[in-house]
Amino acid sequence: MPETRFIKAINQALNDAMEADPTVFLIGEDIGAAGGSFKATRDLLDRFGPTRVYDSPISEAAITGMAVGAALTGMRPVVEIMFMDFTTLSMDMLVNQAAKARSMFGGQGSVPMVLRTPHGGGLNAGPQHSQCLEAWFAHIPGLKVVCPSNPADAYGLLRAAIDDPDPVIVVENKALYAMKGDLPDTPEQIEIGKARITRPGRDATVVAYGAAVAMAETAAATLAPEGIEVEVIDLRSLQPWDEATVLASLSRTHNLVIAHEAVEAFGVGAEIAARMADVGFDELDGPILRVGAPFAPSPFGKTLEDAYRPNADRIVAALRRTLA
Amino acid sequence: MTDLVMPKFGLTMTEGLLSEWHVTPGAAFQAGDLLFTVETEKVANEVEAEADGVLAEILVAAGETVPVGSPVARLAGDVAAAAGPSGAMEMAAAEPATQDAPSARKLMAEHDIAREQVTPTGRDGRVMKEDVLRVIATPLARRIAAQKGVDLQGIAGSGPKGRIKARDVETAPIATSPAPHPAAQTAVTEIIPDAIRLATAQRVSAAKREIPHFYVTHEAELSALSALRAQLNADPAAPRISVTHMLIRALGIALTERPAMNRIWAGDRIVAFGQANIGMVAETPEGLRIPVIRDAGGVSLDEVAAQARELTDRARAGGLRPSDVGDGVIAISNVGMFGVTSLTPIINPPNAMILGVGAERQVFRPDASGAPALRRELTLTLACDHRIIDGADAARFLADLATLLETPLRLLRPARQAA
Repeated sequence: MPETRFIKAINQALNDAMEADPTVFLIGEDIGAAGGSFKATRDLLDRFGPTRVYDSPISEAAITGMAVGAALTGMRPVVEIMFMDFTTLSMDMLVNQAAKARSMFGGQGSVPMVLRTPHGGGLNAGPQHSQCLEAWFAHIPGLKVVCPSNPADAYGLLRAAIDDPDPVIVVENKALYAMKGDLPDTPEQIEIGKARITRPGRDATVVAYGAAVAMAETAAATLAPEGIEVEVIDLRSLQPWDEATVLASLSRTHNLVIAHEAVEAFGVGAEIAARMADVGFDELDGPILRVGAPFAPSPFGKTLEDAYRPNADRIVAALRRTLA
Repeated sequence: MTDLVMPKFGLTMTEGLLSEWHVTPGAAFQAGDLLFTVETEKVANEVEAEADGVLAEILVAAGETVPVGSPVARLAGDVAAAAGPSGAMEMAAAEPATQDAPSARKLMAEHDIAREQVTPTGRDGRVMKEDVLRVIATPLARRIAAQKGVDLQGIAGSGPKGRIKARDVETAPIATSPAPHPAAQTAVTEIIPDAIRLATAQRVSAAKREIPHFYVTHEAELSALSALRAQLNADPAAPRISVTHMLIRALGIALTERPAMNRIWAGDRIVAFGQANIGMVAETPEGLRIPVIRDAGGVSLDEVAAQARELTDRARAGGLRPSDVGDGVIAISNVGMFGVTSLTPIINPPNAMILGVGAERQVFRPDASGAPALRRELTLTLACDHRIIDGADAARFLADLATLLETPLRLLRPARQAA
């Protein structure tokens, strides 16, 4: 099984999807000649030509609007928004058009588009280039949201998103782009809405996604020598999310921590915590705790950003608290 | 929407038993219509509507006891029909705003817990008993405890702030119920108590549980009192005087002369009465009732007798009025007619005392020379609330009472004004 980097897995998935389906095309800023700001679309312009790899002007609203329109006519556009922070400009097209079309047209139409965008910090990119806004999209009925944690999942989820008949937001943590991992020779799609237990444990469950999965695994490894066995769930898909797997895990471990890089308040973790406090109430043997960024804009400087971003130590602290 | 609340009859009333609803939800009523009946201090108070309105929803079912001020029903529209006390003796002092459950207030006082430390869970922010001493346990611990039949109350929690966790329940010893006694099969019937029995049961349980009772006993020699009574009753035109009337009059004088005894404990303060009102336990078809003879120290023996007769008649007919009860510090319970030697009674809250009276009987006592002398004696047992009365005070008071009964002409004189 060959090893590849996260960004190469994305590139591979785009390539394979375009080969498999002629309606798939790419649109975004600097994705053609430049190969993308993070090189996700490297060589694709050469391979598929300018009719399938569009370099767009700097206009996220227009890019997204074109994609929605194309999707409604049967194309499968894959949009790249250079930083998730800029999706704020795409919001009207996504929230009011893409998310609503299937319902408003009585199921006679759908928007099979994908919007890829990187979130997260760690690159000292400052408050306008580091945000994790996935909860905004997960809050909108009609949008799906996935967030891979490793190269194989990046490939599998992106392929599934492109084939999905509805709009899917693929959130890629930019700090993971250089991450190495195995990618099978013939990688498979990953079903949207299904989580994966990456590490079994009996004492507590950490639900994480994206970059927080590795933090959770480090936290689990830190506690293992003490005899504390932590189960780690990689959510993979945030909307829909795998409530059954989380509940089953909670029913085994009776303690739950949810970790994500996004701001803790009103985040994905809040939804999971609220659901588990409801359907899993009698399973709880400690408070459900969240680990996320503080309620503040992401700082620029390295020291401050390091303090701002969640890490394995904070997940360990949360685990100790709920297990106390 | 307006709430109908549990009214307050009398200064010391803290809660009332809503014994009966006279209107049904959805029904319209007019000012003056009977809305519901409240049983307090052994009298039924009928609560009338003060304005026209429609009853939207009943919040407190008949048979439930709720604190004063608690909403008992919701009215449709904006009609103000909350009832006020009718005829209850008005005393000074504004009530504290708190409507916390009395048991919660007591627990907070006992455990020195400030109200701010407690998270109220009751309606309108009232602190309930379980808020004060709540068992803190995780949901899983509760579930396991329920499955194992373990009482969480007895488990020490190992989690933060003493929280009981699953592991604490799992290691707790399982309560083993004693093996059933292989007794002979006895026919047992379960009877649902009626509202009167329930109310009495709750009231006396609370009284015995909450009031630290102590008792002093004294014999009184009644030859002189019997002679005086015979003389008074010899006049066929005069009202008949009973021993109970004379006891009430004697209590009135004793209380007037010792105003420090004419007080009750009201939780966080002491209520002092300006006149001696004496309750008289009466058996009625609705259960025990305690109508109150007013100013037994200030009015004459004949007046005491007249009041007592009137109240007894009303009590037996079930027609006691709110103004016939309450605002006394002591009641008298005379069971002498059944021949019993003495009675050790339970104080009727909010009273501070109750006097149990046994049967008059003939006994030989040694006289000054040691020779047997025939005497007519009565055993008086005074139950006191130790929160407000100490033993020596009670002993002096009861000795005073015995002296008054043994020198009964004093019952015909006005009480001495206390210094």
